[in-house]
Amino acid sequence: MTSQYMAELCALLVEDNFGELFARIFSTLQRYDRLSFPRLKFYSRLSDRQLRHGLAAMIQHHLVYHYTSLDDGATYYEPNLQAAYYLVRSGKILEFIHARLGKYAATLMATIMFLGHAQVSYLETLPELQPEPPKTNGMGDENEEGEAGEQLNGHRDDEYTFEQPALLHPTLKALASHGYLIRVRDAQFQSYADNALDAERAIKSRPDVKQMKGKKLDETVLEGTLTLLKERLDGDLTRGLMFNGLPRGAKLRHANGSADAPSKRARVDYDDENGDEEENEWSDDDMGGDTTPMELGLVVRVNYEKLDVALRNRRFLELAELNSSSVTAQVYECLLRRIEYQTKQCRDSAEIPREGEEGEQYSVAIALNAVTEEVDPQLDLAGSIGPMEVSQPINRRGKRSLEDGINGTDHEASDKPSRSYEIDQHLSLLSQPPYNLTSKRMLAGLITWTVEFRHLARKLRHLELERVIEARYGDVALRVIRVLHAKGKLDEKRLQEISLLPFKDLRQVLASMQAGGFVDLQEVPRDAQRQPSRTIYLWFYDPDRIRSSMLEDTYKAMSRCLQRQRFERNRLKEFLEKTERSDVKGNEERYLSQAELTLLEQWKAKEALLLGEVARLDDMIAVMRDY
Amino acid sequence: MASAGSSAGSVTVLAAQLYDACINKFPSDHLFYQQDLLGLDIVPKNELALLLQCTQSLVDQKLFRLLQGKNDRLAWKIISREDAEKLQNLSPDESLVYNVIHSTGRSGIWVRAIGNRTNLHKSILDRCLKSLEGKSYIKSVHNVKFPSRKMYMLAGLAPSEDVTGGAWFTDGVLDENFINSVAGFIEYTVSRKSWYEVPASDGHRNKRMKTADGGMAVKQEAGQKEYLPFPAGYLGYPTVAMLTGAVNESGITPVRLGEESITQLLEMLCYDNKLVALNNGEVYKSIKNPEQVKSQQARKPRSDDAGIDDRLVKNGMTEAPCGHCPVFKLCAPGGAVSPESCEYFDPWLEKALGF
Repeated sequence: MTSQYMAELCALLVEDNFGELFARIFSTLQRYDRLSFPRLKFYSRLSDRQLRHGLAAMIQHHLVYHYTSLDDGATYYEPNLQAAYYLVRSGKILEFIHARLGKYAATLMATIMFLGHAQVSYLETLPELQPEPPKTNGMGDENEEGEAGEQLNGHRDDEYTFEQPALLHPTLKALASHGYLIRVRDAQFQSYADNALDAERAIKSRPDVKQMKGKKLDETVLEGTLTLLKERLDGDLTRGLMFNGLPRGAKLRHANGSADAPSKRARVDYDDENGDEEENEWSDDDMGGDTTPMELGLVVRVNYEKLDVALRNRRFLELAELNSSSVTAQVYECLLRRIEYQTKQCRDSAEIPREGEEGEQYSVAIALNAVTEEVDPQLDLAGSIGPMEVSQPINRRGKRSLEDGINGTDHEASDKPSRSYEIDQHLSLLSQPPYNLTSKRMLAGLITWTVEFRHLARKLRHLELERVIEARYGDVALRVIRVLHAKGKLDEKRLQEISLLPFKDLRQVLASMQAGGFVDLQEVPRDAQRQPSRTIYLWFYDPDRIRSSMLEDTYKAMSRCLQRQRFERNRLKEFLEKTERSDVKGNEERYLSQAELTLLEQWKAKEALLLGEVARLDDMIAVMRDY
Repeated sequence: MASAGSSAGSVTVLAAQLYDACINKFPSDHLFYQQDLLGLDIVPKNELALLLQCTQSLVDQKLFRLLQGKNDRLAWKIISREDAEKLQNLSPDESLVYNVIHSTGRSGIWVRAIGNRTNLHKSILDRCLKSLEGKSYIKSVHNVKFPSRKMYMLAGLAPSEDVTGGAWFTDGVLDENFINSVAGFIEYTVSRKSWYEVPASDGHRNKRMKTADGGMAVKQEAGQKEYLPFPAGYLGYPTVAMLTGAVNESGITPVRLGEESITQLLEMLCYDNKLVALNNGEVYKSIKNPEQVKSQQARKPRSDDAGIDDRLVKNGMTEAPCGHCPVFKLCAPGGAVSPESCEYFDPWLEKALGF
C-alpha cells in the first residue's frame, strides 16, 4: 500500500499544512516505519521537548498511530499515511459540506478538521464558531467567507451572541446524522494491524476459545476478531439521529427554493435562522421536541469514509450528466442521496478487487415513492423524454402543450401520467447502457431502485484510464484498447479485423503503447524451439496493472506540483514575506506599488492553479484507489 | 475382342445416358455415390464392372470429376459440357493443376501448395499456370492474411471473405477512407433515429420551461433543434438489417455490403463509443444527437482543432505537465530532471493564466 511517491506526497502535505516539526517527525517515521520513542529521537535528531510536543499534536491529528505493547511496556509510533493523504481532500470536503448543509456547517467542519478531533464542549467555547463571520484558520474557504460577510453584515452582530448554541448543536447533529462526523474511539489511535492483533489476543484468551482446536479455533478467532474490531472502531453517530430514515437537517432539495442559486440561498437560511422557518427544515424538528444538545463530553472527528461515499456519488452524478438531460440527472441525484444516507463506506474490502474478480455489490434498494418524495415537485419531468412512438407524437405532446398555453403552470390535468411513473421513466433511462447507472428491483411488489457500485466504480476507473490513453496516443489507441479490453488477448490479425485499422497505424499505436506500458505482448510458442516464426503473439491490456502504475504516476504528479509550488514560492520569497508582514497584510493597496500588486495577483493565480491541479489529480486518486 | 469392342461402344452410349440422367435429375453440385448412379437404372442388372467402365469413360472425357467421399468411398461430381470442353483442351499437367486449384474453391491456393500436391517441377508448374492464366481459366488473388504469397483460384469465382478480408479491403489493403465515410453515414443515420426531435411548434414551450426551472439551462440556443432521448424500452432504434439497407441505398458504396460487414462496422463504432448496442446487438442507439454528429463531422478535416474538443473530458493527469512529460520517469527532486528545473511548468502556467 505504501509507495515511494505516496510517502513523498504525504510528507509534503504534512509539511505544507503543519510545518517543519511535524514533517521531520513524519518523514522519519515513514522512513523507519515503527519506532519507539528513543529510536525516534535518535533518528529525527530532535530534542525531547520538541518530540513530545510534536507527537502529542500529531496524535491529536491522527497523523501518528501509537501503541503501547503489553509485553515490554514500550510505546511504538507509526505514521498514518491515510490521514496524511486526506489533508489534500479537505478543500473538496468543505466545499461539498458547504453545498449540502450550508456555510455554518462547513465552518464547523473546517474547525474540527483543523483540530483533528474535538470535544463538543470545547467547540462551544470557540470564538470562531460564534456565528460572526468566522475567522477560521486558513483551511481554504476564506474567499467565500469574505463575500458572505459583506452581504450579510447588516444585522449580524446584535443577533448572534445569544443564538450561538442553537446553531452549533443542530449543525453538529446534522453532520453527525449524515455520518460525516463520528465519535472518536480509543482504538482509532492504533493502527489497524495492532488493533487486529489485540482483538485476536482478546478472543484467544477467552476460556471457551482456549478449549477449541484446529480449524474450528481458526474460524472462531477470525470471526471474533472481526466483530470485536468492528465494535472497537465503530464511531457511528447516526443511530438515533435519523428522522424517518432521513438524517436531520437533510433538506429536501426543493426547500432550497429556486434551483439556480441554491448555495446562496442556503447560506442565507442558515444565518437568519429565526427568520422564516418554513425554509429551514431542521428548525422545525427542533421545535418538535428534539432540542437536547449533543453530549458535551462527546469527542468527534471527521469521517472520511463516509465522505468518500458522498464524493463518489457526486462523480456518478457527473457521469449521468454527460449523457442525460439535467432533469434526469436531478432525479438521479435524489436517488443517490437517499442511498448515501444508508451507505457507510465505498466498499467492503480494503483493496480494490482485481478486474473480473469483484462481484456485484448493490446498494440498498430505495423505493420509488421515496425518490418521488425527494424530487422537487416543481421539476418538469415530462419535458425531457421523447414519446414512445414517433408516429404519434401529437397525442401526448400536442395536448400537453395546449394545456400549458392555457394554464401557464406545471399543474396539469389528471390524464397526465403520475409523477412516480415519470420518475420511474427517468430512472429507467439511466439504467440503460452504456453506463447502467441504476438498476430496477422488485421487492415484495414494490418498485425499488438500486445502484451497482462496483460496476460503476469500475466504469469510472476505465474512463479515467481511457482519458489518459486518448490524450497520449489518440483516439485510434482508444479503440484498440477497448477492443482488447472487451475481447481479451488477440493476435494482430484478429485485432485488425475487429478494429478495422490499417496495419501500419495499428502497429504504430500498439508499439508506442507498449513502450508506455499500456499494452503488452504475450508469446505463445507453437513448438519447443520457440522460433519467432512459429510463435503466436497476443496483445493484451491489463487494466489492473495500468491502474496501479497510473496511481503511482498520479501520486508523483501531485507531489511534483506541490514541489513546484514551493519552488515558485522560493523564487518570490522576499516579496511574499513582505506581503505577509502584519502591517501589509490586509492593507495591500496602501503599502504595495502597482507592480507589486500585479505580482501578488499573479502569484495568487499561480498558486491557485497549482493547488487546483493537485485537487484534480486527487479526483483521479479517489477514482483509482478509494471508490 | 469384338465383344469387348461392342461393349466399349455400349459403354460410351451408356455413359452418355448416365451423364444426361445425372444432369437432369440432380443439382449440378451433387455428390454421386455408387448407389446414386445405380439408382438411375441405366446400367443393366446393376453390373458394377460396367458402371465402373462408364464412369471411367466419363472421367476421361472430363465430364465427371472423381472424388473421394466419406469413408474412402469413390464419389463423382458432374462437370458441365462447356467446362468439360475447356478441360479436354488442356494438357495433362495443366489439367492436374487446374483440378488442384478447382478443389480449393473460393479460398484460393498458394503456388507452393500446388507444387506440393501435384509434384510437378517448378518450371512446368509455372508454365502451366501461365497458360491457364492466359486462357483466363484461373486468376491470381491477393490474400490479406499472407500478403507475400502468390495465390491462384478459378477465374469465375469471387474470393472469399477470408482471402479479401471482407468488404473493407480493397486489393488486400484496408480502405480507410471508405470505412470512415460509411461509418460517418451510419452514425448519422442511427443518430437521427435514436433521438426525438422536438417539433418546432413546441419551441416557445421549452423556453418557458427553461425559465421556470433554472437547472434546465441546457446548451440549446434559439434556432437550434432540440433533441430528447426516447424512454427506456423504446423499440424504434435501427436494426442491422435497416442500416444495411440504408447504406446500400445511399449510393456511397460501389459494392453491395452484406449484413456481416455492417455488423463489423457497427461493432467498431461501439468500440469508438459512438454507438451503443442494445438487446445484445439487435438494435443500435447513438450517443450523440444528430446536431452534434454533424458538427463533429464537419470539424473532422481540421485535425488541429479536433484534439481540443474531444468527447472525453480531460482529467488531472492529462492537464498537468507531468502527464505529457517524456522524462517523467526520471524526474526526482534534486535530480537532473527535477520539479525545480522543469521546463514544462512555466509554459504551462503561462498558457493557463495568460501572462
